[in-house]
Amino acid sequence: MASIVTTSLVKEYPGGVRGVNGLSLTVNDGEFFALLGPSGCGKTTLLRTIAGLEKTTSGRINIGDRDVTDLEPGKRKIAMVFQDYALFPHMSVADNISYPLKIQKMRKTDRLEEAEKVGDGLSLQGLMERRPGQLSGGQQQRVALGRAIASRPEVFLFDEPLSNLDARLRLEARTFLKKLQIDLGITTVFVTHDQAEALALADRIAIMKAGTLQQLGSPREVFQRPANIFVASFVGSTPMNLLPATVQDGRVLVSGTSLPLPASAEGLVAEGQSVTWGARPEYLHMSTTETADAFLGGVTISENLGASVLLSISVGESNVRVVVGEDQEPSMGTSVWVKVEPRRSLLFDSDGDRIGK
Amino acid sequence: MSEIDADAAASQKLRKSERVKRKGNRTSEDGDSAGLGKGRAAAFVAPAMLLIAIFLVFPALWTLYLGLTNYRLTGFAATHPRFVGIDNYVNALTDSRFLNSLGLTLLFVLGSAVIGQSVLGFAIAWMMTRVRKGVKSVVEFFVLLAWIVPSSVSTFLWLALLDRNNGTLNTLFGTGTTAWLLQFPMQSIIVFNTWVGTAFSMLLFSSALGAVPPTQLESSKIAGAGAWAQLRDVIFPHIRSHVLTNTILITLWTFNTFTPYLLTAGGPDHRSEILPVYIYRLALSEGSLGQGSAVSLIMILINLVIALVYLRILREKKS
Repeated sequence: MASIVTTSLVKEYPGGVRGVNGLSLTVNDGEFFALLGPSGCGKTTLLRTIAGLEKTTSGRINIGDRDVTDLEPGKRKIAMVFQDYALFPHMSVADNISYPLKIQKMRKTDRLEEAEKVGDGLSLQGLMERRPGQLSGGQQQRVALGRAIASRPEVFLFDEPLSNLDARLRLEARTFLKKLQIDLGITTVFVTHDQAEALALADRIAIMKAGTLQQLGSPREVFQRPANIFVASFVGSTPMNLLPATVQDGRVLVSGTSLPLPASAEGLVAEGQSVTWGARPEYLHMSTTETADAFLGGVTISENLGASVLLSISVGESNVRVVVGEDQEPSMGTSVWVKVEPRRSLLFDSDGDRIGK
Repeated sequence: MSEIDADAAASQKLRKSERVKRKGNRTSEDGDSAGLGKGRAAAFVAPAMLLIAIFLVFPALWTLYLGLTNYRLTGFAATHPRFVGIDNYVNALTDSRFLNSLGLTLLFVLGSAVIGQSVLGFAIAWMMTRVRKGVKSVVEFFVLLAWIVPSSVSTFLWLALLDRNNGTLNTLFGTGTTAWLLQFPMQSIIVFNTWVGTAFSMLLFSSALGAVPPTQLESSKIAGAGAWAQLRDVIFPHIRSHVLTNTILITLWTFNTFTPYLLTAGGPDHRSEILPVYIYRLALSEGSLGQGSAVSLIMILINLVIALVYLRILREKKS
């Protein structure tokens, strides 16, 4: 059990490319912490630097009260699960799980007993003598977790632990992983490019782009109040509506429609200021009767999402997307009103940063 | 029930299509995927078989025959060779010079191939995974150079290196007038052959090491494994078949190499007379072609045994 603190952490590759650029963040003790971002954003580099697989260029890393910046990976009391699980193909499941104990020179009978115990907790009974090649993807993943657990680390580091599983299994494994983390209470940092996974699993999410932190917050904060346009468009299974707008008479003019100013931006914008207006499709409401403070437009595309439908509505020059319930789906071409709650819409300034708290 | 029915129908269909195929092409059950037929297939193979027969099978049989005669390079026995049965073989196997040569050959193979080239080649390849690309290229270039320089040139360089008077080695280490090739003939040719052949092992192991999944190495590192534990638990299990292939190939090559003759000519006093050198001296310097042929055949048999052991192990691995 330990927290992880990075201080002005920099990882520079030969050639001057910075994978991690001056990052300071704190992962609290026992927290399930997600590093989220598109590929190449530095999230994996950060994880590998914490693990010690990459040498730190400058800055410090602390795990608990220990400064581990210059320690070997094996001395940091961490365990890592890789995307491809990195199981040893020539060893049985039991030997794989107990491998860290073998390195710690534990006696063979003791470590196999330990492996048995860990395996039981991961429903691997009866598979202990098999080779990894004879296991399914989900079982392999649990063996990899078992190896991480057996080493009794202070910190778990997961590198895209779910992305090699097929879609259905991934949901199951996600729930399993969350329960496991709660049961063990070990500080866990995991890397993912899948925003849904990050939202579902994490206590807090750090969203990264080009080696720098974009936003750090709970899944709810990140989803409802993205710090900038990048986060707004990256998080959420349906992309956020982001439209150019102008402040006019204390209201905001979006695509020829005058809407009330978002609650958070009140008093922080000047008349005539160019801004970007944003609202999640899930937070918009459609109506077939005339509504005040709403967009008016025709339905051009409707995409079925299962229990809900994603509609694209053409408003003036732009497209507004809205999610409606399955029994609310209008026919194509129908004119509808789309109402926006001031509380659930946001304004971003010309640099792309959110205006207001 | 319906599933079984469907299965039965499918297999019936399969059988039918097989029958059709068999009618169209009689040899389909022999695995004749190209559909050539035996006659034409044989015609395609014939030229290669002919070349093998002329240049490989015939000389081998000729050697077999010569080994049973007292054929000599010159003199009466050159014109009127006499059939002597297995005398040559009996002579060879009881001759202390042959046994000495066989022993030296085993020492040579063990020292320069199995230990020298394999271990050194692996060590260099492994070190090169930890250095910068530029360093790796330079080292590989120099190691390869030893391999690709013609043996007549490299032996000349080694003669200069090991020379008694003004040799580079003696000058460098101040070892006076040590006559390396005379005082340490076996050690000299073992070091020489290691130097020549390490490049192959290094290249083979380099590519093998490149195929070891990096995440497995990293997870053993995170578990706290040191260099030796990483070798034992991750690297060796992955490159086992490469080690086998490499060992067999360099064993055969080293067993048959003649280059050491250019350094020591088998001397002094037969102290570096490995089998190829022994055969050469026996058959061509001393003119006993019959006896030489017999020893050649014994050597071919030893090669064959090595190759068979190799094929056997490889097949076991595959199944």
